[in-house]
Amino acid sequence: MNRLWKVLSLLLIAVFLLTACAAPAPPAAAPAEEAAPAAEEAAPAASEGAMEEGVDMVLLPKFLGILVFDQAHQGAQEAHEEIGNPGKLEFLGPTPENSVQGQIEIVTTAATQGMDAIMISNNAGDQIVPAAKAAKEAGMTVVTWDSPIPSAEGEDFFVAQVDFDETGKVMADMALDILGEDGGKLAILSASPDAANQNAWNAAFQDVLANDPKYANLELVDLVYGNDQSEDSYNQALALVDKYPDLELIMAPTTVGIAAAAKAMQDEGLCDKVKVSGLGLPAEMVSYTLNGCAPEFALWSFKDLGYLTYYVTYLLATGQIEAKEGQTFEAGRMGSYTIEKDPTRDSGLRVLMGPFTVYTAENVEEAAK
Amino acid sequence: MWSRLGSRLRSWEGLLLGLVVAVIAVNALQTPFYLRLSNQINLFTLSIEKIIVALIMALIIINAEIDLSVASVMGLAACVVAYLHAQGVPVALGVLAGLAVGALAGAFNGYWIAYVGLPSLAVTLAGLIGYRGAARILIEDRSIGGFPDWFNRLGQEPLVGPFPVSLVLFFLLLALMLVVLHRSAFGRYVYAIGNSRDVARYSGVNVNRVKMTLFVASGFISALAGILLAARLGSVRGNTAEGFELDIITMVLLGGVSIFGGSGSLIGVALAILLILNLRNGMSLVNITGNTQTGVIGVLLILSVLGPNWARSLQERLQRSRRQTGGPGDGATRGAVPK
Repeated sequence: MNRLWKVLSLLLIAVFLLTACAAPAPPAAAPAEEAAPAAEEAAPAASEGAMEEGVDMVLLPKFLGILVFDQAHQGAQEAHEEIGNPGKLEFLGPTPENSVQGQIEIVTTAATQGMDAIMISNNAGDQIVPAAKAAKEAGMTVVTWDSPIPSAEGEDFFVAQVDFDETGKVMADMALDILGEDGGKLAILSASPDAANQNAWNAAFQDVLANDPKYANLELVDLVYGNDQSEDSYNQALALVDKYPDLELIMAPTTVGIAAAAKAMQDEGLCDKVKVSGLGLPAEMVSYTLNGCAPEFALWSFKDLGYLTYYVTYLLATGQIEAKEGQTFEAGRMGSYTIEKDPTRDSGLRVLMGPFTVYTAENVEEAAK
Repeated sequence: MWSRLGSRLRSWEGLLLGLVVAVIAVNALQTPFYLRLSNQINLFTLSIEKIIVALIMALIIINAEIDLSVASVMGLAACVVAYLHAQGVPVALGVLAGLAVGALAGAFNGYWIAYVGLPSLAVTLAGLIGYRGAARILIEDRSIGGFPDWFNRLGQEPLVGPFPVSLVLFFLLLALMLVVLHRSAFGRYVYAIGNSRDVARYSGVNVNRVKMTLFVASGFISALAGILLAARLGSVRGNTAEGFELDIITMVLLGGVSIFGGSGSLIGVALAILLILNLRNGMSLVNITGNTQTGVIGVLLILSVLGPNWARSLQERLQRSRRQTGGPGDGATRGAVPK
């Protein structure tokens, strides 16, 4: 028994240390516990008290470690400070290889913690629906941004970065610009088949190519998925080139995919033959744009998207607006917006941010700073 | 030899129990949400499919084999249900087909391992790739959902008091496995074969049949878990359950089951499951993100391997110094020191 207790106490200490080191949270958790009784005392004052207490919000990206999501977080923080919400803003995300399970777990945990609102960039398709519904039933505000819940079940509304149909048009225009009037073969390198935004953009792109005679010479030969992982996307890009020797353009509507594809073409010395375009981040794409591997790409501001998402979610969580068609609101520095029916899904509401910026060798350096 | 082994296992389990208690205490102190019943249920539900499969995996590893194909079988069974549903087949029939496919996949593994004598590592690695490939061929890059309500409720709603079906199934299966492994002749064969296949065979144990049974059971239970996962998520993809096998094997090894077979107990595995789930849940509740969680569990696994060795050498050193000095406190601890 003696030995057992020694080992046990050692391991106990280890666990305590681990949880203590790993968590910058204990200081944050302690005030939360203290705040709880205080809130109970204040409760008789008014049910409006929720506003003064602050709204605890979670910003959930598809997963951690991607620059655009950090930018969205910055935008959300900016709005958090500007509004002066005394509640918490947590930026929590899963690991890339565990994205679906991790997102479901974070939504479920947020509901358990009594968080007031969660903002989801959904990477789990409709698999997130049961968790999102449960969170709403627990009284949470559930807003999606960047990528919606395809069926719209379980979400209040979706903050769309751009019009999803317009994305198809913008991609087609860039493709036409790069390939010229006589056209050529191109392929799509997308993120994951469960990313609703990607699917909508690809569908819109295919639709425009098929139906607008202007793009008749652009021949789409394949659609592959790199799962927003650099290595995966890199390999998929190379596989495309192998499979279609006369391929001239890889269109990647994902910031991870476009950078990986551009790097693949650069590494293989194929930039003269196969161009890369799509949606990319100026900071990651600047060298490829200047050396001609990716002469043209587009994006919107993720910082603004985070700001707008935070703002509208806060307004909804505090009851200042309702999630219904025609509701207008002011979102700080970004001005006035209206909640509308989402024309890109069968059901659901959206707030449309916009617009696109197209980057070329002329403006990319400035934007990358 | 048996008694020494027994005491080592007992102390391992004692240690895990101590850790579980410690983690529960820390969690309860750190956040008021932890002890709520709904959180306690969520904590299981979020990993329920993995822990169901961990039970049968424990038997397989005690038997000195391994099944790397479990997660792929989970995915394949879920994809079979989804594919048939998309073809208009009633989901109830699809579930039966999924379970049958799982059992067949297990039988296929078992045939090569038990009757042909190939190593399970190689056979089930092939299974991991092959069954996943089959799942992806069925579903391609789609995501299939829209199952009938009864099926979704199976995974998402409390049906037995506050508990979802999957949790009840887990505890029933745990009880069943406890009896089978620790109270039946079959369980004794599992240990005997794990210790030495040859000795077991010469003692008249039908080694092949035991191994075959285990792998068929593994395929069937994995398929069941995969279908439960489909019900919980409400939709299925080609990569459903991908990568689960490592988490499952981690739980079993942390539970004190020797990777070389022949030793370990289901109580240890159950404690390891409790430890990992509670640790993850506690960290999530104080907003520690996925990367750190994975790191902490990795460190725990290393400690759990190093701990016993370290303790043994510490004990030997202490005994030696005590013998030399006859130091203070000797009288007080004498009763507690074994031998």
